[in-house]
Amino acid sequence: MIDIDLFSQLLSRALRNGGDYADVFAERRDALAYRFQDGRVHESGLSVTQGVGIRVVVGEAAGYAFSDDLSTQALMEAADTAAHIARNGPARSARTIRVGEVAVNAPYRKSQTNRADVARYVALIERVDVAARAFDPRVVAVNAHVTDELQEVWIAGSDGALVYDRRPLVTLGAQVITVGNGERGAGYCADGGRISISFFDDVRTPESIACEAARVSIVNVEAIAAPAGEMEMIVGAGSGGVLLHEALGHGLESDFNRRGVSLYSGRVGQRVASELVTIYDDGNLAEERGSIGVDDEGVAGQHKVLVENGVLRGYMQDRLNARLMGVGPTGSGRRQSFRSMPQPRMCNTYMPDGASSVDEILASTKRGIYAKSFGGGQVEISKGDFVFMVSEGYLVENGKIVAPIKHATIVGNGPEAMTNVVAVGNDSRFAPRHYTCGKGGQNVPVGVGMPTIKISAITVGGTRDA
Amino acid sequence: MRDDEAINAAREAVAIAMKQGAVAAEAVASLGSRFSVEARQTTVTKLERSIGKSLSLRVFVEGGRKAALSTADFSHDSLRGAIARAVAQAAVVGADPHAGLPDQTADSIPDLGLFDDAIAARDDAAGIDDVLEMERELRASDARIDNSNGSHYAGGVSTHALANSNGFSGVYSTTRASRSASPVASDGEHKRTAHYGTAARRLDELESNASVARMAARRTVEMFGAGRPATMRVPVIFERDVAAAVLSDVFSAVSAANVAVGNSWLSGRLDERIGSDAVTIVDDGRSAGRLGSSPFDSEGVATRRTVVVERGILRTFLYDTYYARRLGAATTGNASGSGIGPNNFYLEPGSGSLDDLIASTGRGVLVLDTIGFATEHATGTFSRGARGFCIEGGELVGPIEEFTIAASLPDMLAGIDAAAGDLHFDASIVAPSFRVAQMQVSGI
Repeated sequence: MIDIDLFSQLLSRALRNGGDYADVFAERRDALAYRFQDGRVHESGLSVTQGVGIRVVVGEAAGYAFSDDLSTQALMEAADTAAHIARNGPARSARTIRVGEVAVNAPYRKSQTNRADVARYVALIERVDVAARAFDPRVVAVNAHVTDELQEVWIAGSDGALVYDRRPLVTLGAQVITVGNGERGAGYCADGGRISISFFDDVRTPESIACEAARVSIVNVEAIAAPAGEMEMIVGAGSGGVLLHEALGHGLESDFNRRGVSLYSGRVGQRVASELVTIYDDGNLAEERGSIGVDDEGVAGQHKVLVENGVLRGYMQDRLNARLMGVGPTGSGRRQSFRSMPQPRMCNTYMPDGASSVDEILASTKRGIYAKSFGGGQVEISKGDFVFMVSEGYLVENGKIVAPIKHATIVGNGPEAMTNVVAVGNDSRFAPRHYTCGKGGQNVPVGVGMPTIKISAITVGGTRDA
Repeated sequence: MRDDEAINAAREAVAIAMKQGAVAAEAVASLGSRFSVEARQTTVTKLERSIGKSLSLRVFVEGGRKAALSTADFSHDSLRGAIARAVAQAAVVGADPHAGLPDQTADSIPDLGLFDDAIAARDDAAGIDDVLEMERELRASDARIDNSNGSHYAGGVSTHALANSNGFSGVYSTTRASRSASPVASDGEHKRTAHYGTAARRLDELESNASVARMAARRTVEMFGAGRPATMRVPVIFERDVAAAVLSDVFSAVSAANVAVGNSWLSGRLDERIGSDAVTIVDDGRSAGRLGSSPFDSEGVATRRTVVVERGILRTFLYDTYYARRLGAATTGNASGSGIGPNNFYLEPGSGSLDDLIASTGRGVLVLDTIGFATEHATGTFSRGARGFCIEGGELVGPIEEFTIAASLPDMLAGIDAAAGDLHFDASIVAPSFRVAQMQVSGI
């Protein structure tokens, strides 16, 4: 996209006032989207963007400028702007940076393919629509969408490395709305990952996505109001991983810890959860949405142990915070696009298998809810209060599922909830691949995974008196 | 100069699309520049400057088939290539009699006072002084504030030009400045953070550094010693920022794009009572100097003032041209990029202050902050994590957190029994503080 000599020139220019580190992030992104509504392709969209972001880091400060104009003059001006952060620093002689190419081995490389015919995308969303409508006569509306994106990045650092990553991302999803007995119900399902759309030919058919969304919408038509108050909760395998992401994950991102803002600051080596709890974050899993060959600072994706048997083992580090904390980066520096500076972020966060069976967990629950899938969540970093939103849940009494419940927010405190984990199932799996994480105004694709677990007490925000 | 550059880019894109076989086309070209700065304590930690541009194009081919393109590459050859792909893509879209350009576009472009030279010409050093001052004010305001997650100032200029193949072209420019602060406080045992931010089109209307810092500091330290409330049904007061978040959910429900596909609990409810007498909701694109104002929407249709809910009665949904045709109505000038967006969408204020509202509430909960976004728009099921204060005998008696508030949006709108007079237009969706007569609070 830009030639290797220009990368070298931009880095030298960016560091002309000095600075600890500089990088140039060049990106090209080509994304296709189709929406199906009312029995026809309703919208089609194409987005083609490219640009370059240049950063200079001095201590804990960073100067940044980006340009979507790729001319040498515009990029040199961006380098000058980024260099401005170091203007008051001690005078240093300018450095000459020469970058060289470094090979990257991305786990998802083998599944790259080229763009499919338009007709193939259309066929996929048509099949979603047909299958969802055929699922049940109570289905009144189906909104299906397919997206296929290819992001290519080139990252040159003042350490002399130039790396390239190529990140495909596809999603096929359906929102289904059902009306029965005067009640409305909605269900959503989507899947995909860093693969090609041939994934939907055999591994995950459009029909399976459509039927899952339709099934949930019907469960929600029949749902009773969720209970209110503190009770036991079974967190379902797969999308229950949203709990880990919110209750713990964000609190272990290194910017919050280096700044002393997170309640987990300075607590590596300490007990932060029940000893049943082990949590990993991994950027190297084939096909998962949060996987990366290299992060957006050119550091290879890694497997990180965040919590092991309840003990905090480490944070997720980008370059800036790692350097200030005196540790190495963990391949966690991610950004939404060339328009933003990187932040420490999660990739694919999950809990491995425990020892309990799902039947045992259910049988041991006297009164509570079984939250099978989640729409998302949010956390407050300093005290650790979090919420997550149940999109399919059931009331449980005396070890048995009694009735589905309407959407409800669960509220808890991270360390308390993680300490209250009393059982971990042996059915760990990743959630369907459609989650996106937002932080500081930047969205990045992530994966979450979990076995079925049980939390002894948590607050359920329904409307029905307990 | 920038006006010419933007309008020429939009016109050129329309011309290319027509040459490539489109029967109609519309392009929006935006040029913007932005400066932002962050400080923590006494250090400037981020300086960012950007100059960006974007082009959004809609092309229509025979039968009302359409495709959208967005790109940042304005060069003639790249544009030709991308537009050719969009035209080809449009051909596979289902025929749709409702798709097409608007019947009528704005015939004049009034100056709504959306541009402030003071923001456009502001020196970077002034922004740097702002954030350092906010950090000083934070530390001075309370001894427990011993850390910061960063104070921010940002200022920017945008130019929006629109051209379509029916001969419309128009351009306008806006400015926007914002300030925010995120202090961290500690009482030796617990840490607390909170955030306060504000924005305006004019620098002299932007809340001062001292005021932003004071508000952020108060929100941070007032939560020390918070307990958890009992699970109960009580009146709930939403302070204006969280009241605005509730109004965002109402906006989703009146957006014709959601109504048309059944994803709104207000589908089929036109001219029915959907709220109490205290509920009058307006969308106004024409008020001077406000963040949600513009002379024309993203299809070139003149913006206007629309009463959406009048004393509890749902009068209209909000439309763009496509959904208006599909639902047999007229556009309300709410086209926004790829969908339907708010202009200045607000709940009419009542009178009195938030304190008056609290004083008139015997026992209840004041909500100052919510987390989560679990609104199920098809059914109107509303549920959020919250923090705030318990109210007893008309007085705030102690901070509370780690609880949820829940109700259905229909019950909430029907239950709004009072609104304060504290409406403040610092976003495009705003509301005064209001009280819902009864909601489920879920704690211990």
